[in-house]
Amino acid sequence: MRETVITTETIADPKTHYGDARASTRHFITQRLTGAINIAFLLLLLFVVVRLAGQDRTDVVGLLGNWFVGIPFAALIAIAAIHMRNGMRDTLEDYLAGSMYRLAMLLNTLFCLAVALLGAGAVLKIVFWG
Amino acid sequence: MSVRARPTSPHLQIYRWTVTMAMSIIHRATGIANYGGMALLAIWLVAAAIGQDALTSVNYIYGSWFGQLVLFGFTWSLVHHMCGGLRHFVWDFAVMMEPGQRDKMAWATLGASVAITLLIWTVFVWMA
Repeated sequence: MRETVITTETIADPKTHYGDARASTRHFITQRLTGAINIAFLLLLLFVVVRLAGQDRTDVVGLLGNWFVGIPFAALIAIAAIHMRNGMRDTLEDYLAGSMYRLAMLLNTLFCLAVALLGAGAVLKIVFWG
Repeated sequence: MSVRARPTSPHLQIYRWTVTMAMSIIHRATGIANYGGMALLAIWLVAAAIGQDALTSVNYIYGSWFGQLVLFGFTWSLVHHMCGGLRHFVWDFAVMMEPGQRDKMAWATLGASVAITLLIWTVFVWMA
Protein backbone atom coordinates (compact mmCIF):
# COMPACT_ATOMS: atom_id res chain seq x y z
CA MET A 1 0.00 0.00 0.00
CA ARG A 2 2.97 2.30 0.58
CA GLU A 3 3.84 4.46 -2.39
CA THR A 4 6.68 6.62 -1.10
CA VAL A 5 9.24 5.88 1.59
CA ILE A 6 8.90 8.32 4.47
CA THR A 7 12.10 9.24 6.24
CA THR A 8 12.59 11.33 9.36
CA GLU A 9 14.04 14.05 7.14
CA THR A 10 10.82 14.21 5.10
CA ILE A 11 8.73 14.72 8.22
CA ALA A 12 11.15 17.18 9.87
CA ASP A 13 11.62 19.38 6.79
CA PRO A 14 8.84 22.01 6.56
CA LYS A 15 9.58 22.43 2.86
CA THR A 16 8.21 18.96 2.10
CA HIS A 17 4.80 20.15 3.38
CA TYR A 18 4.26 16.80 5.03
CA GLY A 19 0.53 16.89 5.57
CA ASP A 20 -1.86 19.63 4.51
CA ALA A 21 -1.76 22.54 6.97
CA ARG A 22 -5.08 24.11 5.97
CA ALA A 23 -7.06 20.92 5.54
CA SER A 24 -5.64 19.39 8.73
CA THR A 25 -6.48 22.45 10.82
CA ARG A 26 -9.98 22.54 9.35
CA HIS A 27 -10.31 18.82 10.06
CA PHE A 28 -9.29 19.36 13.70
CA ILE A 29 -11.62 22.32 14.28
CA THR A 30 -14.53 20.59 12.51
CA GLN A 31 -14.09 17.47 14.60
CA ARG A 32 -13.99 19.42 17.90
CA LEU A 33 -16.95 21.60 16.95
CA THR A 34 -19.16 18.75 15.72
CA GLY A 35 -18.03 16.63 18.67
CA ALA A 36 -19.20 19.29 21.12
CA ILE A 37 -22.51 19.61 19.28
CA ASN A 38 -22.87 15.82 19.41
CA ILE A 39 -23.26 16.06 23.20
CA ALA A 40 -26.50 17.95 22.52
CA PHE A 41 -27.37 15.33 19.89
CA LEU A 42 -26.95 12.49 22.40
CA LEU A 43 -29.16 14.25 24.96
CA LEU A 44 -31.90 14.83 22.38
CA LEU A 45 -31.45 11.27 21.05
CA LEU A 46 -31.87 9.90 24.57
CA PHE A 47 -35.03 11.96 25.04
CA VAL A 48 -36.46 10.87 21.68
CA VAL A 49 -35.58 7.17 22.04
CA VAL A 50 -36.85 6.95 25.63
CA ARG A 51 -40.15 8.49 24.55
CA LEU A 52 -40.54 6.56 21.28
CA ALA A 53 -38.77 3.18 21.55
CA GLY A 54 -41.23 0.49 20.48
CA GLN A 55 -44.03 3.04 20.05
CA ASP A 56 -46.45 3.32 17.15
CA ARG A 57 -46.25 5.76 14.24
CA THR A 58 -48.83 8.11 15.73
CA ASP A 59 -46.62 8.55 18.81
CA VAL A 60 -43.55 9.14 16.63
CA VAL A 61 -45.41 11.75 14.58
CA GLY A 62 -46.78 13.24 17.80
CA LEU A 63 -43.27 13.92 19.15
CA LEU A 64 -41.03 14.36 16.08
CA GLY A 65 -43.83 16.15 14.25
CA ASN A 66 -43.29 19.14 16.56
CA TRP A 67 -41.03 21.43 14.58
CA PHE A 68 -39.09 22.42 17.71
CA VAL A 69 -38.16 18.74 18.23
CA GLY A 70 -37.97 17.53 14.62
CA ILE A 71 -35.95 20.38 13.10
CA PRO A 72 -33.15 20.35 15.71
CA PHE A 73 -33.11 16.55 15.63
CA ALA A 74 -32.71 16.50 11.83
CA ALA A 75 -29.97 19.16 11.98
CA LEU A 76 -28.10 17.27 14.71
CA ILE A 77 -28.24 14.01 12.71
CA ALA A 78 -26.65 15.83 9.75
CA ILE A 79 -23.95 17.29 12.02
CA ALA A 80 -23.27 13.85 13.50
CA ALA A 81 -22.79 12.56 9.94
CA ILE A 82 -20.09 15.20 9.37
CA HIS A 83 -18.35 14.01 12.56
CA MET A 84 -18.66 10.40 11.33
CA ARG A 85 -17.07 11.18 7.98
CA ASN A 86 -14.28 13.19 9.55
CA GLY A 87 -13.57 10.52 12.15
CA MET A 88 -13.57 7.69 9.63
CA ARG A 89 -11.16 9.73 7.51
CA ASP A 90 -8.66 9.58 10.40
CA THR A 91 -8.92 5.82 10.48
CA LEU A 92 -8.65 5.39 6.72
CA GLU A 93 -5.62 7.70 6.54
CA ASP A 94 -3.86 5.52 9.10
CA TYR A 95 -4.13 2.30 7.15
CA LEU A 96 -4.67 3.14 3.48
CA ALA A 97 -3.03 5.36 0.90
CA GLY A 98 -3.30 6.11 -2.80
CA SER A 99 -6.18 4.71 -4.81
CA MET A 100 -7.35 2.37 -2.04
CA TYR A 101 -7.65 5.37 0.27
CA ARG A 102 -9.61 7.34 -2.32
CA LEU A 103 -11.98 4.42 -2.90
CA ALA A 104 -12.52 3.91 0.84
CA MET A 105 -13.02 7.65 1.30
CA LEU A 106 -15.63 7.66 -1.47
CA LEU A 107 -17.54 4.85 0.23
CA ASN A 108 -17.18 6.71 3.53
CA THR A 109 -18.67 9.86 2.03
CA LEU A 110 -21.53 7.92 0.44
CA PHE A 111 -22.38 6.14 3.70
CA CYS A 112 -22.35 9.34 5.76
CA LEU A 113 -24.38 11.13 3.09
CA ALA A 114 -26.91 8.28 3.13
CA VAL A 115 -27.22 8.41 6.93
CA ALA A 116 -27.64 12.19 6.85
CA LEU A 117 -30.12 12.30 3.96
CA LEU A 118 -32.18 9.29 5.07
CA GLY A 119 -32.08 10.04 8.82
CA ALA A 120 -32.64 13.78 8.64
CA GLY A 121 -34.89 13.40 5.60
CA ALA A 122 -37.15 10.92 7.41
CA VAL A 123 -37.47 13.29 10.37
CA LEU A 124 -38.20 16.27 8.11
CA LYS A 125 -40.79 14.20 6.22
CA ILE A 126 -42.51 13.53 9.57
CA VAL A 127 -42.28 17.21 10.51
CA PHE A 128 -43.73 18.61 7.29
CA TRP A 129 -45.97 15.84 5.98
CA GLY A 130 -46.70 13.74 9.08
CA MET B 1 -7.02 15.41 -1.19
CA SER B 2 -4.21 12.90 -1.34
CA VAL B 3 -2.66 11.36 1.71
CA ARG B 4 0.73 9.80 2.22
CA ALA B 5 1.03 6.30 3.58
CA ARG B 6 1.36 6.45 7.36
CA PRO B 7 4.03 4.47 9.10
CA THR B 8 2.26 1.41 10.50
CA SER B 9 2.92 -0.03 13.91
CA PRO B 10 4.61 -3.38 14.44
CA HIS B 11 2.33 -6.05 15.77
CA LEU B 12 0.11 -4.89 18.61
CA GLN B 13 1.21 -7.74 20.86
CA ILE B 14 4.73 -6.42 21.34
CA TYR B 15 3.46 -3.57 23.55
CA ARG B 16 2.84 -3.67 27.26
CA TRP B 17 -0.77 -2.61 27.62
CA THR B 18 -1.48 0.65 29.38
CA VAL B 19 -4.91 2.02 30.20
CA THR B 20 -4.36 5.12 28.03
CA MET B 21 -3.45 2.89 25.07
CA ALA B 22 -6.52 0.75 25.68
CA MET B 23 -8.78 3.82 25.88
CA SER B 24 -7.25 5.21 22.69
CA ILE B 25 -8.02 1.97 20.86
CA ILE B 26 -11.49 1.77 22.40
CA HIS B 27 -12.17 5.38 21.41
CA ARG B 28 -11.53 4.48 17.79
CA ALA B 29 -13.41 1.18 18.08
CA THR B 30 -16.47 2.86 19.62
CA GLY B 31 -16.25 5.55 16.94
CA ILE B 32 -16.47 2.88 14.26
CA ALA B 33 -19.29 1.15 16.15
CA ASN B 34 -21.19 4.45 16.37
CA TYR B 35 -20.60 4.92 12.65
CA GLY B 36 -22.40 1.66 11.94
CA GLY B 37 -24.93 2.20 14.70
CA MET B 38 -26.13 5.44 13.14
CA ALA B 39 -27.49 3.29 10.30
CA LEU B 40 -29.79 1.65 12.90
CA LEU B 41 -31.13 5.07 13.85
CA ALA B 42 -31.61 6.01 10.20
CA ILE B 43 -33.43 2.71 9.50
CA TRP B 44 -35.77 3.29 12.46
CA LEU B 45 -36.54 6.87 11.38
CA VAL B 46 -37.07 5.91 7.74
CA ALA B 47 -39.42 3.10 8.81
CA ALA B 48 -41.37 5.58 10.94
CA ALA B 49 -41.57 7.95 7.97
CA ILE B 50 -42.76 5.22 5.59
CA GLY B 51 -45.61 3.78 7.62
CA GLN B 52 -46.88 1.72 10.52
CA ASP B 53 -46.11 -1.67 8.92
CA ALA B 54 -42.46 -0.83 8.36
CA LEU B 55 -42.18 0.63 11.87
CA THR B 56 -43.78 -2.48 13.39
CA SER B 57 -41.18 -4.69 11.66
CA VAL B 58 -38.28 -2.53 12.85
CA ASN B 59 -39.70 -2.36 16.38
CA TYR B 60 -40.00 -6.16 16.36
CA ILE B 61 -36.34 -6.60 15.36
CA TYR B 62 -35.03 -3.89 17.72
CA GLY B 63 -37.22 -5.21 20.52
CA SER B 64 -35.94 -8.80 20.21
CA TRP B 65 -33.30 -10.00 22.68
CA PHE B 66 -30.60 -9.65 20.05
CA GLY B 67 -31.81 -6.20 19.06
CA GLN B 68 -31.80 -5.11 22.69
CA LEU B 69 -28.28 -6.51 23.11
CA VAL B 70 -27.07 -4.50 20.13
CA LEU B 71 -28.83 -1.36 21.36
CA PHE B 72 -27.30 -1.80 24.82
CA GLY B 73 -23.87 -2.06 23.21
CA PHE B 74 -24.63 0.94 21.02
CA THR B 75 -25.63 2.95 24.10
CA TRP B 76 -22.35 2.14 25.83
CA SER B 77 -20.42 2.83 22.65
CA LEU B 78 -22.02 6.28 22.25
CA VAL B 79 -21.53 7.16 25.91
CA HIS B 80 -17.94 5.93 25.95
CA HIS B 81 -17.06 7.83 22.80
CA MET B 82 -18.60 10.96 24.31
CA CYS B 83 -16.58 10.52 27.53
CA GLY B 84 -13.45 9.93 25.45
CA GLY B 85 -14.26 13.08 23.49
CA LEU B 86 -14.61 15.08 26.71
CA ARG B 87 -11.18 13.75 27.74
CA HIS B 88 -9.79 15.12 24.46
CA PHE B 89 -11.37 18.51 25.22
CA VAL B 90 -9.53 18.49 28.56
CA TRP B 91 -6.27 17.63 26.82
CA ASP B 92 -6.83 20.46 24.33
CA PHE B 93 -6.09 22.82 27.23
CA ALA B 94 -2.75 20.99 27.68
CA VAL B 95 -3.64 19.78 31.16
CA MET B 96 -4.00 16.30 32.72
CA MET B 97 -1.26 14.90 30.51
CA GLU B 98 1.23 13.86 33.17
CA PRO B 99 1.74 10.24 34.21
CA GLY B 100 -0.80 9.36 36.86
CA GLN B 101 -3.18 12.14 35.76
CA ARG B 102 -3.78 10.72 32.31
CA ASP B 103 -4.17 7.20 33.70
CA LYS B 104 -6.69 8.39 36.28
CA MET B 105 -8.64 10.19 33.57
CA ALA B 106 -8.56 7.09 31.34
CA TRP B 107 -9.97 4.92 34.15
CA ALA B 108 -12.53 7.65 34.89
CA THR B 109 -13.64 7.55 31.23
CA LEU B 110 -14.29 3.83 31.45
CA GLY B 111 -15.97 4.07 34.85
CA ALA B 112 -18.18 6.96 33.76
CA SER B 113 -19.23 5.29 30.52
CA VAL B 114 -20.20 2.04 32.24
CA ALA B 115 -21.99 3.89 35.07
CA ILE B 116 -23.92 6.21 32.73
CA THR B 117 -24.92 3.33 30.42
CA LEU B 118 -26.17 1.21 33.32
CA LEU B 119 -27.98 4.23 34.75
CA ILE B 120 -29.73 4.93 31.43
CA TRP B 121 -30.82 1.31 30.97
CA THR B 122 -31.83 0.86 34.61
CA VAL B 123 -33.94 4.01 34.77
CA PHE B 124 -35.42 4.02 31.27
CA VAL B 125 -35.61 0.31 30.33
CA TRP B 126 -35.35 -2.14 33.19
CA MET B 127 -37.36 -0.18 35.77
CA ALA B 128 -39.63 1.63 33.32
